[in-house]
Amino acid sequence: MTFITTRRQLLVGGASIATVVALGGVHPAFASADRSKIVVRVEKDPVNLDPANRSGPVDLNVLWSVQQGLISFKPGSTEWELDAAEELEQVNATEIRFKLRSGLVFTSGYGELTAEDVKFSFERFIKPNAEGKPVTYAKDWSALDRVEVTGLLEGRIILKKPAPALYTIALADGSGRIISKKAFEALGEKEIATKLIGSGPYVLKQWTPRDQFVLEINPDYKGPIKPHFQQIVGKPISEQKTAEIAFQSNEIDFTAIDPENGKTLSALPDASVTQIPAIDYVWFGPNIEKAPFNDIRVRQALRYAVDIDAILQGAYSGLYPRANSLLAPSLLGHWKDAPVYARDLEKAKALLTEAGHADGFKTKLTIEANARYEAIAQIIQANLAEVGIDVEIEALESAAYWALGNNDASKDLELSLIKYNGKFDPGFQTQWFTSAQVGQWNWQRWKNADFDALHEKGGVTVDPAERAKIYIEAQKLLDESAAFIWITHNLNAFASRNWLKPGVLPNGNNWLYTAFSETTA
Amino acid sequence: MRSASLSIHLAFKLATAFLAVAGSVLLLLALTRLIPGDPATVILGSRATPEAIAALNARIGLDKSLTEQFVGFFGRLLSGDLGEDVFNGRPVLGLVAAALPNTAALAISAMLFAIVLGVPLALLSARWAGRRLDRLIAFLSVGFISTPSFVVSVFLLMVFSVTLRWFPVLGAGESGHLGDQLWHLVLPTAALAAGWVGYIARLLRSSLLEVLSESHIRTLRAYGVSEAKILMKYALKPAVLPTVAVLGMGFGELLGGAVFAEVIFNRPGLGSLIYDAIRTRNYPVVQGGVFIIVLLYVLTNLIADLSQSLIDPRERARLSTGRGGVT
Repeated sequence: MTFITTRRQLLVGGASIATVVALGGVHPAFASADRSKIVVRVEKDPVNLDPANRSGPVDLNVLWSVQQGLISFKPGSTEWELDAAEELEQVNATEIRFKLRSGLVFTSGYGELTAEDVKFSFERFIKPNAEGKPVTYAKDWSALDRVEVTGLLEGRIILKKPAPALYTIALADGSGRIISKKAFEALGEKEIATKLIGSGPYVLKQWTPRDQFVLEINPDYKGPIKPHFQQIVGKPISEQKTAEIAFQSNEIDFTAIDPENGKTLSALPDASVTQIPAIDYVWFGPNIEKAPFNDIRVRQALRYAVDIDAILQGAYSGLYPRANSLLAPSLLGHWKDAPVYARDLEKAKALLTEAGHADGFKTKLTIEANARYEAIAQIIQANLAEVGIDVEIEALESAAYWALGNNDASKDLELSLIKYNGKFDPGFQTQWFTSAQVGQWNWQRWKNADFDALHEKGGVTVDPAERAKIYIEAQKLLDESAAFIWITHNLNAFASRNWLKPGVLPNGNNWLYTAFSETTA
Repeated sequence: MRSASLSIHLAFKLATAFLAVAGSVLLLLALTRLIPGDPATVILGSRATPEAIAALNARIGLDKSLTEQFVGFFGRLLSGDLGEDVFNGRPVLGLVAAALPNTAALAISAMLFAIVLGVPLALLSARWAGRRLDRLIAFLSVGFISTPSFVVSVFLLMVFSVTLRWFPVLGAGESGHLGDQLWHLVLPTAALAAGWVGYIARLLRSSLLEVLSESHIRTLRAYGVSEAKILMKYALKPAVLPTVAVLGMGFGELLGGAVFAEVIFNRPGLGSLIYDAIRTRNYPVVQGGVFIIVLLYVLTNLIADLSQSLIDPRERARLSTGRGGVT
């Protein structure tokens, strides 16, 4: 067969070569040297931008930059600073007085932020909505009795009982954001979820679902926070690997990463990696209502049989810090002298023999399906096999796994591996281990009246030193039960361009977009 | 008589298509509800109270029986309403309408890419059957078919996005900017189409060889007609018929297969919409998205089926006369 080159073929070939040459240039997405705008990766699309019905950190981080609270968290800290409030005073255990800054205005023409807006925003949490249903985060304000307006910009928050956690759980957090009463009345609960009206440093300029959201500096903002970047673009990317590739290709400037990939990413010429110890709590433990785990000697044997350091090496590459109790080192009530259980197979075997299980037994370990938890489960399985305990691993997809918290579905669990995210108040962490949580989120089904009482007492004790003692006592009870084998408090890692200083709070999940800035070095 | 036969054929095909859509959607809805987990737990976080979960389920209508929910879904469907996203009340129709063009663009471009590369490879392979070039094309084709598209995706990203920085990693390009959208389409298209290139090359090669072995082709050769002309003019048209049928089904599969490419390349398409909705148990979005996918799948099959009937002279004759075709 003979091919003769025609003029048409030459033209087509020429065009093809021109296209290839054109494509040889760097795509504009990679070439940005514009320092007035940053692109950050978020794990999912924002879902609901109503502070009372928000769905998680992605929503909250956007809310924080667009709406104000009386107070807000300081960048990189668990402490707070004044925001919309010019003054805030704890008058007594059940009364907080506030005075707002003047001249704060809501976007879209909804007028000045007043004490009426504060009252409306906070009391929404204790009143059912138009359909008679409570808002999602009603619990955050369960201590609230009412908000009294004493002037255009002044008011008093009256509590039913002392609530020291209110500052970090509600006031500085998402449930303390102030929404415009007028806007809510005009738009209704449904529209408020997608039309974000605020008085903060940024406005939500654009939100294309599943593509991106754009925050832009609010020119009318008159508060104390000085945002650095003119625009912050959020790109929802669910897959961590895609996010890391997008970071390597320069399409995004900031992303959470797996700490294990930190070394590779920090080797890039224009990148830096930040690691922040987290305040989560990862542990595994038995359902103590089920035999043989109803015998404390079996639980103690588990604790001696499992090698936590091997788990940290094998499943976390030796990068994550070990947890020895519930509360992370950065939290009030951290138990620094908590016992560190080293692996002791002889002790474990002796305890099992004493409990009548010299030949071991069969059991099941339920985990949320992902590579890391599967690695942990396999190490536990191998460790327990050495003392004769035969572990079958049951890995459930995320939604199916967390459904075990509904309607007593967890009652059939034997061993479970769990990770809970922490908040900045110790009472938030202890609440899931109370007797009332059996059948819901206390999957170990451990009941202890003294622990319940300590949790209650910690929730109303105002003196921080006294509170710290109470939570340490509570953790001692958790330890005595041998129902909780702590693994780690986790580690957060982030990759950013080396000229970018991220505004991340110590829990790692929450970011203050207003605190993102350029590095000075 | 002729038009009556064609009408009956068409009506039968449409009825089958309708039943396929209704049956598939019903089955998928039932399966979705069988897996544990609910949107309330996802919305409220992993440690919500039972009261809050119950209240939210009531608000989004999940406290109703499955039958009521299904009847409600199909009832609303008649008025063109696919329901609302349980998380923020956005209409599902709007979400699907925004996502569909991205998926359709990806599936169409992948199909075109596969045809543009696959057909010449098949022609070259058939022309030099059993020779070195044929063996090379066979090797490449089987390689393309057997390499999973996510592996191809990551490879393409590492080479063309991270190293060369020619093509972007994320999204579907700027809205209203055709050039940017095409640029964003290149890598996912190549990743999605790679397997189909090999598939078309193999399938069409076999058909071509079958046609080339027929007696009328030998006659043409005896008359001195060139091999190129025989291939292009006399063998390609009859040989392409089985490929057309496969492409029809293939387009539907590409729509479904786009899920991987959309997740890896972070394209806001229908596949990733459904993927995210399943993970969060956002039932109305799953229902609406699956309904559209099934509808498109059935429609493309129907079109391929009818096209084949029109291209194939035997089938055309059978429908026209209402009797069995020429054999």
